[in-house]
Amino acid sequence: MRPLTEEETKVFFQKLAQYIGRNIVHLINRPDDTYCFRLHNNRVYYVSESIMKKATCIGRDQLLSLGVCFGKFTKTGKFRLHITALDYLAQYAKYKIWVKPNGEMPFMYGNHVLKAHLGRITEDTPEHQGAIIYSMNDIPLGFGVTARSTSDCRKLDPTGIVVFHQADIGEYLRGEETLL
Amino acid sequence: MEVQLKNDKSKFKSTEVEKAIPLEYDLGNLAAFDTNPIDPKALKKGKDDFLKQLTRDNAQLIMNAIFNLPTKSSEDGVFATLPEPTTVIPREKPVPKEKILTRWEKFAKAKGIQKKKRSRFEYDEETGEYKARYGYDHTKNKEEIPEDWLIEVPKNADPMEDQYEKRANEKKERIESNKKRQKRNQEEAEAIRKNINPREARKQELLNKSLIAKTSTASLGRFDKKLKNEPKVKNQGIRKHRDSNTGDMKAEKEKTLEILEKTIEKKK
Repeated sequence: MRPLTEEETKVFFQKLAQYIGRNIVHLINRPDDTYCFRLHNNRVYYVSESIMKKATCIGRDQLLSLGVCFGKFTKTGKFRLHITALDYLAQYAKYKIWVKPNGEMPFMYGNHVLKAHLGRITEDTPEHQGAIIYSMNDIPLGFGVTARSTSDCRKLDPTGIVVFHQADIGEYLRGEETLL
Repeated sequence: MEVQLKNDKSKFKSTEVEKAIPLEYDLGNLAAFDTNPIDPKALKKGKDDFLKQLTRDNAQLIMNAIFNLPTKSSEDGVFATLPEPTTVIPREKPVPKEKILTRWEKFAKAKGIQKKKRSRFEYDEETGEYKARYGYDHTKNKEEIPEDWLIEVPKNADPMEDQYEKRANEKKERIESNKKRQKRNQEEAEAIRKNINPREARKQELLNKSLIAKTSTASLGRFDKKLKNEPKVKNQGIRKHRDSNTGDMKAEKEKTLEILEKTIEKKK
């Protein structure tokens, strides 16, 4: 466990900013407690200072997880967000997409969101922008990258892809052993 | 007689050719350069004939010039001695580099020692045959008693010493020292090629090695015995500096915010 280097922080924030933009500030500046990002086994964890300090007395090999895992650095140095970060992403999301009830299951099985399943979408969503996906009663289901902007979505035929799948809450079941 | 000469003359073309501007000759390369302007009318009339005529005239002029050169006669005939060529012809390949002499070659050159070619075969008086000195076929008869079946023990030598072993050891040492010399020669040649004084190059190499050796202990040489006036060695390795895990949280927060500002600004 160690703090992120400057280079790592940059890569991490670039990915995070796709989904919540400037709201990263709220993750760092919290009124309740000091929170920080820590790297452990190539994974980035979002932890409160008190828990982090307690975790320092656990050996590197023994420490499995702490706080909330936001994602991991790939071996090529890119950052990949995990579904476990959804709580914070959904809280500060910039662009939201609501999926109709008949589209919830297909998305949670790891498929892309189709035009036919699109319930609502934030106005002025650009193309290739990170977006959070909700069910119609505002339960966050996962996140993805928009394939079309809001205006292009209107012209799209029903089978066209609106959002590319990145992560969904179905992974809690499908990837139970790998999620930390 | 005169009539016949005239007849012959009319048969052959004249050896005398007149040119407005005399040719430039480079007889070392057997070449001549004609700078006279070409008559366009004559060229148009009959291209082939004109070019043939021009070529014949110029060839005649070259031959005349060659025949005017001083000659040398030998058994094989009479030869003209050509002057040095004046036209520079470009090379296809670069000029070969001069080989850097080894220490022995330098010494031999200064002393005037010349390499003698030693024949590979040697006359064997006992058998009256030529025998290879070394290599393939140097022992025709495998059962032959070797030349050194007995070695005389020199005076003042330890009688129990194995003279064969001594001889073998000496040869090994000779090979070793020769290898060392070869290595030294190669290093010196390398330095000369880089325009460095070989002595300086050797000094620099030793210095570098000593610097490495000094910092090769676990403590990077901190507890080693120091010599008098020993120069201080800076730690040359690059150390990765990581922030402390449980350091100043306020400072860490500010640093993170700063990086955040930078990355978001860049994106815009």
